[in-house]
Amino acid sequence: MTTTTPFIYRPSEHECENASNSYLMSLIAVIAGLPFPIVNLIATFFFYIANRKGTYFVRWHITQALLSQASFLVFNSYGFWWTISIIFTDESISNSWISYMITILIFNILEFIVTIYTAIKTRKGIHVKWWLYGDVTDLLVKP
Amino acid sequence: MMEKIVLKGLVFLGLFFGVYFSLQQIDWMNLFHIQQTTESNEQKIGELIWKSYSQSETLVYDSLVTDAIDSLLQAVCESNDMDASKIKLHIIQNPEVNAFALPNSHLIIYTGLITECENETELCGVMAHELAHMELDHVMKKMVKEIGLATLVSMTAGNGAGQVVISSIKHLTSSAYDRNLEKEADIKAVDYLVNAHLDPEQFANFMFRLGDKENEADKYLQWVNTHPNSSERAAYIITYNLTKPHGSFELVLSETTWEEMQFISGY
Repeated sequence: MTTTTPFIYRPSEHECENASNSYLMSLIAVIAGLPFPIVNLIATFFFYIANRKGTYFVRWHITQALLSQASFLVFNSYGFWWTISIIFTDESISNSWISYMITILIFNILEFIVTIYTAIKTRKGIHVKWWLYGDVTDLLVKP
Repeated sequence: MMEKIVLKGLVFLGLFFGVYFSLQQIDWMNLFHIQQTTESNEQKIGELIWKSYSQSETLVYDSLVTDAIDSLLQAVCESNDMDASKIKLHIIQNPEVNAFALPNSHLIIYTGLITECENETELCGVMAHELAHMELDHVMKKMVKEIGLATLVSMTAGNGAGQVVISSIKHLTSSAYDRNLEKEADIKAVDYLVNAHLDPEQFANFMFRLGDKENEADKYLQWVNTHPNSSERAAYIITYNLTKPHGSFELVLSETTWEEMQFISGY
């Protein structure tokens, strides 16, 4: 799911801290216990805005964090509004809804673990590339 | 590079939906006993509400009335593969024109409705409409929407049940269902009537008659208040009825029984 590759330069202590924080930002809603999937993305997005002119290492990691959040937003939002429709409309609990909620739970737990792992590694200056997201980030962020 | 990303993206989506479709093969509803829990909650809520409601009302026990209404109910149920024994029919001595369904298949009919109907098919139409609400699970949906799921669950545990029961009765007896739910029940009622060889046009006629009275401040026309826009609904009942194939229409009760029952109900 992730690969550790050498970065083109050795990032400074401050860069490592900022890069690591970008992953922590994406966990903010989980920590706050909020069910709204957009909160994670907003937190990461503002952190991205604040650091988009940062160094290459910081920009690279904030983009990878933002991309993962954006893609999970689609799946989580669908589950969120499906749940809301069950509570407030005629929609009722079904096998499909339970299966979907378990699926997004599995993917979110995996993302949560990988996010924490990446936050710890990047804090130590180790460059962690996620499967798929790392490749897209390479394409978007140039030194 | 781009091809690799597209391929990985497709693998990711494939993995996501693969997990989703695999999980769908498991019968989660049965595994988590969701259906059984829902049914048992509905039973408890239904009995609590009926117990409280019946204390303040006068029930009709005259066998001529109860047997006749029961025959109409049997006729509709049998032709539509519904288990009539599950439906708990109650006739209430009340001049209001009203009928409604309570949770756990309690069907309440006021004597005011019986006297307002011009023939048995009109009454069967109203009963079919309420049966449709039951069969389509509208009663519990309305309760959850108006009272809240958490309150209902706490009610089954006996927490503050009294107040919630009073509030539930008020909602179920005197407030309307969603427009969509009403339409769904009307359409289903037409199907029930056609299957029972009863004329749905009579049901539409009844709605038209109520529609004419909608502007009148008649305190006894409770079913009008809980079923607004009667004329509009009568129109789509007729339109839908035109699409249905019809055989000959039949009567369940003899004319004498109907008249006697109406007489006793209005007494």
